[in-house]
Amino acid sequence: MPDLFAHYETSRFYDEMFAGPGRAHAHYQRLAERINRMEGMAELLERQRSADQAFLSRGVTFTVYSDNAGTEKIFPFDLIPRIIPAHEWEVLEAGLHQRMTALNLFLADIYSEQRILKEGVVPREMVESSKHFRREMVGFAIPKGLYVHINGTDLIRDEAGVYRVLEDNLRTPSGVSYVLENRQVMKRVFPNLLRDYRVRPVENYTNDLLSLLNHLAPAHVPEPTVVLLTPGVYNSAYFEHSFLARQMGIEIVEGSDLVVENDRVYMRRTDGLAPVHVIYRRIDDDFLDPTVFRPDSLLGVPGLVEAYRKGNVALCNPIGTGVADDKAMYYYVPRMIKFYLGQDPILPNVDTYLSSDEKDLKYILENLPKLVVKSVNEAGGYGMLVGPHSTEAQIEEFRAKIIDNPRNFIAQPTIGLSRCPAVCGDSIEGRHIDLRPYILNGETIKIMPGGLTRVALRKGSLVVNSSQGGGSKDTWVLAADQQTPAPFSAKLLV
Amino acid sequence: MLSRVANLIYWTARYLERAENTARIADVNAQLVLDLQSRQAADDPRSWGPLVYVSGGDDRFKELYGTSTTERAVIEFMLFDRRNPSSFLSCIAQARENARCIRDQLAGEVWEELNTFYLKLKDDDYVRYAQIGSAEYLASLRRRVQMFYSVADSMIPRTQLWWFFELGRFLERADNTTRILDVKYFMLMPDRTQVGSALDMVQWASVLRSCSAFEAFRQSRRGQLSLERVIDYLVRDTAFPRSILYSMLAAREALAQITQGRFSTEELPAAALLSDLERELQESVAKEIITAGLHEFLDDIQVRIGNVHAAIQDTFVHYATSGARVLG
Repeated sequence: MPDLFAHYETSRFYDEMFAGPGRAHAHYQRLAERINRMEGMAELLERQRSADQAFLSRGVTFTVYSDNAGTEKIFPFDLIPRIIPAHEWEVLEAGLHQRMTALNLFLADIYSEQRILKEGVVPREMVESSKHFRREMVGFAIPKGLYVHINGTDLIRDEAGVYRVLEDNLRTPSGVSYVLENRQVMKRVFPNLLRDYRVRPVENYTNDLLSLLNHLAPAHVPEPTVVLLTPGVYNSAYFEHSFLARQMGIEIVEGSDLVVENDRVYMRRTDGLAPVHVIYRRIDDDFLDPTVFRPDSLLGVPGLVEAYRKGNVALCNPIGTGVADDKAMYYYVPRMIKFYLGQDPILPNVDTYLSSDEKDLKYILENLPKLVVKSVNEAGGYGMLVGPHSTEAQIEEFRAKIIDNPRNFIAQPTIGLSRCPAVCGDSIEGRHIDLRPYILNGETIKIMPGGLTRVALRKGSLVVNSSQGGGSKDTWVLAADQQTPAPFSAKLLV
Repeated sequence: MLSRVANLIYWTARYLERAENTARIADVNAQLVLDLQSRQAADDPRSWGPLVYVSGGDDRFKELYGTSTTERAVIEFMLFDRRNPSSFLSCIAQARENARCIRDQLAGEVWEELNTFYLKLKDDDYVRYAQIGSAEYLASLRRRVQMFYSVADSMIPRTQLWWFFELGRFLERADNTTRILDVKYFMLMPDRTQVGSALDMVQWASVLRSCSAFEAFRQSRRGQLSLERVIDYLVRDTAFPRSILYSMLAAREALAQITQGRFSTEELPAAALLSDLERELQESVAKEIITAGLHEFLDDIQVRIGNVHAAIQDTFVHYATSGARVLG
């Protein structure tokens, strides 16, 4: 029997599967055995091909923005799952719960009393200069006190295997449909293995999301109508929009389908105008309502914000949540946790330097080739400098930008993300990964067991975004630990 | 149902039906060319030119291919050219794009059938068409559309989604049947001496076959093949599902299902227009149609189908919001 992992190289990065050459962590041993029972690489590749074909036929694709033709691609899927043992997940879950609670309290606070600003824990100008801070919403009491409903928090593991929070996505985090589709495919490819491992199911997500949306409806509506608002079929996440709408049995609408009459929202149906009570919007604040935000937006609905303020319709996420996922604000989340909850953060941040801070700025400018610099308002791997992988010219370009607008950037040390084996060409090699769990904040906080594991499929690349050559893996959270405890459990929490 | 969604499914059906009929028209032409020995040379512009004309793509064709109506140019234009919005490929691509917009409403299998068809089709070209042979290649395209219909038929619930699909499909079909008849008219126009000859019979048989109507025509016991009888059958038969009258009746049924009797015929402009057209078709006589001019007759029907289409858009899709009915 050939050992498909015989030539697998572990390196200075933390490896999810191997403690050292030929030594799989306890919770990966069964997987290694299963893969080695195949008819060599040929069978693995055949299964990979059949999985790819399944994605293509089902149209599980995303659109690449960069060219006008709107090229459709499948989001590459890697067959080798990422496995998280139960005891690790417990900690992650507690940490994410804590973070979501603090973020919600923070948003509630800055849109009302602003205690945290008055006490100087977060600098006022930081909040007020944020592109996503919505003055219009100050003093508006959001129903049920839920200021953020859905968060996709990106986690990574550093060289020591410690989980750290890389960023929060509090506006319209995407990717959850891939989690659900990946699992469907894995059920076909490794049915017995999933059962033997006692992998926790992810399928409840859409039920939980629907309950959340129903929970948000105005109090006087017994049977609310919920819709999903999409920018349209050319949006890169359109597959996900239609997938979620289908799974929940709600309408997917575009801005042009909605009208506001007398501060109430209706959708245009063939037989007339039907009332709408909850909008799961997958478009940013800026595009929601041309009468309040960007007047040139054709995606939104004139009058929507007024209907919202009158309490006739609920929005998920609410307007203005983006201020909390501003990457400069991220720096303050551990302090928010301390301030509102009186606790230490369970999940640490990545060390972060603010270029708006004079001391940090000096450090950043002196160490650019070593650092990752991020624009605070961008997402998707855009507006980013990865120092060690950049040319002199690129570094100088960023230097100028940072000096020009220090509020707009943060810097972090280049972290060697953990690696996990992936099928690359006709061998198995280590590739860097991250993890995006999805946290729902409704009647209670619910966290889907697992999340989207993204993998940087380009050799050596640390960028996992789909727009930058990333793919995904199924994430297996185990219901109970395997008999032998994982050897690294001790250093999980530092 | 959302107006936008209704419009998308309606157009999905129209595009699919148009694609299928484009394949049919190309097929009837290929067969006619074989039958008309004097025009057998594939490059004779008289053989393939009319096809472009009846499909309504004349100007676009000239723009792209000039005046050379060779088989290759016409087939490329009508089947594979994405620059022609009515080409077979354009129609399937558009139908798939529409279905993608509403895939939350469609069963997975319905979408997958269309998606895999498109993915397979998109790399085909004239070379492949010629390699396989026109009859076989065109039949394979038709079969694939038929397959989609059968999946749709067994999967789509009989809600408005289905009835807008039916509405689009039968309006398009009626329009397309007029165009298939028109090809024949164009082919024979310069040469009326052969009406009623053995060659003429062969040609009418091929027109019927292109509508998959040959056996049905025979079974309807309408006797010998003749210009009049074939026209009568394809225009006015109430039992044959590709006849113009049948398509009108089916479209009106779809409309009735959509409105669930909320409107009377008079209140619903599209229904009123359809019912006028039906009555005229029922009262028409094939002989008179021919005397007065078949082409003009068919042209008139196409215009009126266009009016029905516009009325449907006004009532269900682009109605004014102020003063519109508000639902409970």
